Amino acid sequence: MEETRKKCIEITGVVKKYFIGTPNELAALDGVDIDVYEGEFLAIVGASGSGKSTLMNIIGALDRPTEGGYKLDGLDVTAANDDELSAIRNRKIGFVFQTYNLISKTSALKNVEMPMLYAGVPAKKRVERAKELLNDVGMGDRIKHLPEELSGGQKQRVAIARAMSNDPSIILADEPTGALDSKTGRLVMDIFHRLNKEQHKTVVLITHSPELAEECDRIISLKDGKVTGVRPGSGKAVGE
Amino acid sequence: MLFWENIRLALTSLKSNKMRSLLTMLGIIIGISSVIAIVTVGNSLTATLSDSMLSLGANNITVYLDRKEIKDETTEEGYVFQNTDGVQEVLDEDLITNDMIMEYKEKFPDEVYAVSATNDVLSNGVSSVGKKSAAVNLKGVSAGFFVEKSTKILAGRLFTAKEMLEGRKLALVSEKYVEKIYPSNEDAIGQDIVISGNGKDYTFTIAGVYEKSDSDMGMALLVGSFNSASDVYIPLKTAQDITHQKNYTNVSVVLKSGINPNEFSKETEKFFAGYYRTHRSFTVHAMSLASVTEQLENMMNKLTLGISVIAGIALLVGGIGVMNIMLVSITERTREIGTRKALGAPNSSIRTQFIVEAVVICLIGGLIGVMGGIGLGALAVKLMKGVATPSVSSIVVSLLFSMGIGVFFGYYPANKAAKMDPIEALRYE
Repeated sequence: MEETRKKCIEITGVVKKYFIGTPNELAALDGVDIDVYEGEFLAIVGASGSGKSTLMNIIGALDRPTEGGYKLDGLDVTAANDDELSAIRNRKIGFVFQTYNLISKTSALKNVEMPMLYAGVPAKKRVERAKELLNDVGMGDRIKHLPEELSGGQKQRVAIARAMSNDPSIILADEPTGALDSKTGRLVMDIFHRLNKEQHKTVVLITHSPELAEECDRIISLKDGKVTGVRPGSGKAVGE
Repeated sequence: MLFWENIRLALTSLKSNKMRSLLTMLGIIIGISSVIAIVTVGNSLTATLSDSMLSLGANNITVYLDRKEIKDETTEEGYVFQNTDGVQEVLDEDLITNDMIMEYKEKFPDEVYAVSATNDVLSNGVSSVGKKSAAVNLKGVSAGFFVEKSTKILAGRLFTAKEMLEGRKLALVSEKYVEKIYPSNEDAIGQDIVISGNGKDYTFTIAGVYEKSDSDMGMALLVGSFNSASDVYIPLKTAQDITHQKNYTNVSVVLKSGINPNEFSKETEKFFAGYYRTHRSFTVHAMSLASVTEQLENMMNKLTLGISVIAGIALLVGGIGVMNIMLVSITERTREIGTRKALGAPNSSIRTQFIVEAVVICLIGGLIGVMGGIGLGALAVKLMKGVATPSVSSIVVSLLFSMGIGVFFGYYPANKAAKMDPIEALRYE
């Protein structure tokens, strides 16, 4: 059944080494093969030092692998130059960070508009879509607020709206609930579930929390730069 | 990325650090305002000086005695010294004589309108009538002098040719003098004026009162001191009888209209220098006021340039300040830069964003500087009782220059930001 679904991410034999040629040479990723299907909710779990951050950077087109191939929507990311990588990050990937990374002193609306700015969307359309997205995550009444005036959960919701602004193929969430209490963390996870179910967005969740990983369709475990296990999750939010 | 968006971002960033932005701008503000102020003052001063020079008579040529250039000589041992053997006190026989002037007039009847010669008898003498007194300079003048100065008589009359020739004890006084001594100009006519100085008293009869001209004020401004003493004019012959000096250190030539003073001054110099060809120490130079004006303007321009260079250094320091603060700002905003990159900002957008920010800092600084400079310049000009004429070109150049500083000093930090590794930048605490 899985073969009939379209592959969204194809990672084959990816190796990422640091300090190459020195005695400290370190393989953060050591031959990783991962396929992610369209519309899938995937969890990547692992302890710190397992290489999950490195993997996230490569999936997010922030970094190039030392060896191996990476195709995103059929596009060879390893062959892209810096500007092409920027464009890939801009159009294909929606980042959600643990620490939100909203631009300070800039309103929620302007924050959500930002990726569209780099994509060259005209101002009027930008504002329209940003308002729509903020409404979707329940932040419609706080569009003029600065990040400093928002709670953690609210900030993360703005960040999710921002990640969605250029309608990316995948949402890449790096410990999105890591800095939130369990209640607001739940709220944020529910938004990911909703985006996955209703808008069929591919969501890649990087986490060290086994409970959160259980909610996903599939769980990939990393250890010492290698995939140590792939198993299905419940695919259901807690309480569903 | 969009231009206006960058401006908005820059302004947001400046607003969030008001004090720091202001301090950063200070260098630019000081540099630009000093340039503008200096140019404003320079322009007004040049205009004022040119005006007063013209009212003195740009058509005139001044002929004056000058020392011959002293050449450095080198001894056999290699010592360099100035041969001062020929330098000596000016004697009456070295001066420009009446004969030279007569010959000059005869040689150039079509060019020379009048020759004005003066003989200073006394400066800062005192003239008292009863309890009232006034400071005066006593000056013997030729008929040409009145032509040269376009002297206007308010009461009484000028000296006649006969009176001049005979050296009568007559005087022309300034209205300033009359103001101090007599109730009206008319009351002064026919009165005796006694002038004391150098332990002697000189007595003359007042023949007329002349109007004090503005050009004297201009001259005073030029010389740099206001002499409160007014001039009392007596016939040249009378003065020569007192001083026993028949010759002149300088004379003024009034040209007929249509004669180019610059060109004719060369002819004049050639003529007079002819008498001094074999003289050991002295020669004669001729200079037109037009060329003096030109020289003054040259001098002002050089002064302006000199101060602009200093202001340029201030701007350079200001620019370095901008660069410094941009580097700080970029370090502080490393995470923002990382986030922008992760969200798809190409390097060029990041670079543009920070260059625009630096340019905006400099341009705002420049604008404040221009306003401050105009204010300062106007104030200084007002103190000198001139009319402020801020130069539009210098304002435009200043603003362009401050933008240039922004681009130049903003490029390095902006490029540093653009080249940041997004992963490192996102991880930055």
